[in-house]
Amino acid sequence: MISARPAAAPDLRPSRASPSMTPREPGAPVIEARALVRRYGARLAVDDLDLELRAGECLGLLGPNGAGKSTTVRILSTLLAPSGGHVRVLGLDPQAEGERLRARLGVVPQELALYDVLSARQNLEFFGRLQGLTGTLLADAVQQGLALAGLAERAREPVKTFSGGMKRRLNVAIALVHGPELVFLDEPTVGIDPQSRERIFEMVEALRARGVAVVYTSHQLGEVERLCDRIVILDRGRKVAEGTLEELRRHPRVARRGGASLRFAAGAEAARARDLLAERGLTVTLEEDAPDLERIFLDLTGRELRDTEDA
Amino acid sequence: MKAWLMAQKDLRVYFLDRVAVLLGFGLPIALCTVFGFAMGAFSGGGSVGRIELVVEDADRSAGSRALIERLRESDGLRLDLLSEEDLAGGASARGRVAEGDAPAALRIAPGFGAGLDGDGANELPLVLYRDPSKTIEQQILAGNLIPVFFEVLGEGAGKRLTAKVLGALDFPEAGRARAQTILDASWERMRTLVEELEASGVLDDEPEEEDGSAQDAPGDSAADDEGFDFGAKVAELMGLQLEDVTGGDQARKTQKQAQQAQAVAGMAVMMLLFGLIHCGGTLLDERESGTLDRLRLVPGATGAILGGKFLFTWLVGLIQLAVLFAYGKLVFDVPIFRAPLALVVLSAAVAAAVTGFGVLFAVVSRSRKQLEGLATIVVLTMSALGGSWWPLAITPEWYQKLGHLTLNAWAMDGFQGIFWYGQGLGGILPEIGVLLGVALVLSLLAWRLWERSVRA
Repeated sequence: MISARPAAAPDLRPSRASPSMTPREPGAPVIEARALVRRYGARLAVDDLDLELRAGECLGLLGPNGAGKSTTVRILSTLLAPSGGHVRVLGLDPQAEGERLRARLGVVPQELALYDVLSARQNLEFFGRLQGLTGTLLADAVQQGLALAGLAERAREPVKTFSGGMKRRLNVAIALVHGPELVFLDEPTVGIDPQSRERIFEMVEALRARGVAVVYTSHQLGEVERLCDRIVILDRGRKVAEGTLEELRRHPRVARRGGASLRFAAGAEAARARDLLAERGLTVTLEEDAPDLERIFLDLTGRELRDTEDA
Repeated sequence: MKAWLMAQKDLRVYFLDRVAVLLGFGLPIALCTVFGFAMGAFSGGGSVGRIELVVEDADRSAGSRALIERLRESDGLRLDLLSEEDLAGGASARGRVAEGDAPAALRIAPGFGAGLDGDGANELPLVLYRDPSKTIEQQILAGNLIPVFFEVLGEGAGKRLTAKVLGALDFPEAGRARAQTILDASWERMRTLVEELEASGVLDDEPEEEDGSAQDAPGDSAADDEGFDFGAKVAELMGLQLEDVTGGDQARKTQKQAQQAQAVAGMAVMMLLFGLIHCGGTLLDERESGTLDRLRLVPGATGAILGGKFLFTWLVGLIQLAVLFAYGKLVFDVPIFRAPLALVVLSAAVAAAVTGFGVLFAVVSRSRKQLEGLATIVVLTMSALGGSWWPLAITPEWYQKLGHLTLNAWAMDGFQGIFWYGQGLGGILPEIGVLLGVALVLSLLAWRLWERSVRA
């Protein structure tokens, strides 16, 4: 059984496959995208997108279905050629220098991209070998991956016997086995229990602590709020807002209520303040503190349903 | 009402599934077409496959030339007359059969022309060499030889045949002299007599076995224990000497073994196609499960992914062939050790060609379901056309040419060359070359399409 919380923080010391995998200096540019465009026929999946990420940062990529999040991640991770614009990732052109770049990237796909009949260890070993790890480097990386995912005790069991949470954790660990400098996580916590989600958060936090840059896409806005330094909100392929959570709260399109605001601690203190003000003939409405990310998100992208498949 | 609603929904779903519709309607129509043409050809629908007959004229008389001309006019035969250059180069009627180039050959030995003027009492100096593995061809050949010999040999043929038929069929002694007279005078009256005897029930009596009688096929035919050999009987009755020829140094095989070798090789190739297309389909599994993108993110993996699939599929194919042939050896005594090197090289080439198909199909298909539908249609059609279900030699020429557009036909030619004719690597080089060519072309095509798809 997987414990609700790891006994110790996951050890994310990188197993270096090559010197190129040393994390960049803090603040060094990791992603620079200017006027990025991707068309599928007449449809614009990504439209004039500017994006920037620096070493050690975690960027949250938010947007409704069909906003262009996955397309953006696929372009940045070399899997898809842009139709226009300029992109540099870790100082390299993802299309022209994709081979060099791939060794430095880790991508956690939304799907459980695992071999079900192989064990957790065999999955990690396979992808580690493909990334060029051998001998003790490979053995260490696999051990670390298993520990990181909390799967050391079930390392030899076929993945098909794992729970959804175990598979998700392994899905993340595989992307990290070669010690990447930039990690893309595409909705890594879909459909899992809180304990597994917490473990994945810890994995991401440990990556950040090491100076690894992270791009995190999710529909779980609370996750982005917790993990990310900056947030980019996409809608219909375009960037509609960017900034820290505080900056987004002050975004002009985020609705504000009129009148003055007073801050009280929640609960009895707030209720007493309301009663006192009411006794003096003032109309008081108690509401939540600052708008949370979910409200910001909905204010910025609207409430209409988006059923377009994200390419 | 609810049942009808359910059925209506299922009908709608069914007809929206193009693969299901193609399998349900397209494939049966395609197979009916193939079978229909093939069977129509067997039954004499005007496009009957001509059986190749190699002729060596060592007599060079007016009589031999007349025989050759008449053979040439026969609708069911395709004559291949050995020229003086062929003979000077070492070719022989017997050799052509032994090498598997033709199902039968006729040698007209010196003295044939002179013998035609005789009273028909002596055996003619004609030798018919047969490949006993090609049973259906021998029957068609025999059916075509009867009218030719009657026409060319004239009265002598009638006398020979009468005597032999009457003896072979244990014709009632009382009727023989009368029958001889009638046959000599008029074949029409002979038919009348047969009808009379049939009516009287005399012909219904089972003839008694006669040790060492003329009922035994000449030359200790390998088919003696395999049932009635129509071709051998006809040759015997016509007064031809008969020799069954098999290739290489292998001891004489039975027709049954030849047919079993054909069946094992045919099924091996067909099932290889099914199996390897399934293996190639693991590429689609990777795409659908998301592991393909993960693999593509590995440096230098774009080519390795397809190369790995090719290698994996090819190795599975080799193992599959090895298992099937080992089974064929154990159960049917298929002679897999006749030319081991040739068999290994041919198997590798067949597996490579089929792998090319499998990988190409996987690259062009959008889903597993589509791949499986496409594979079923193509594999069954190629197997029917390519000789996996029946020997191509019994099909019309156009069918054989069409069949050789499939890799099944080339694979079958190669395997039959080894198993039956004992050909070594040199003997099956054309087949190996074609199969490797197919493998190369299909693999390159798959590669181009794959590169295009991953760069899209």
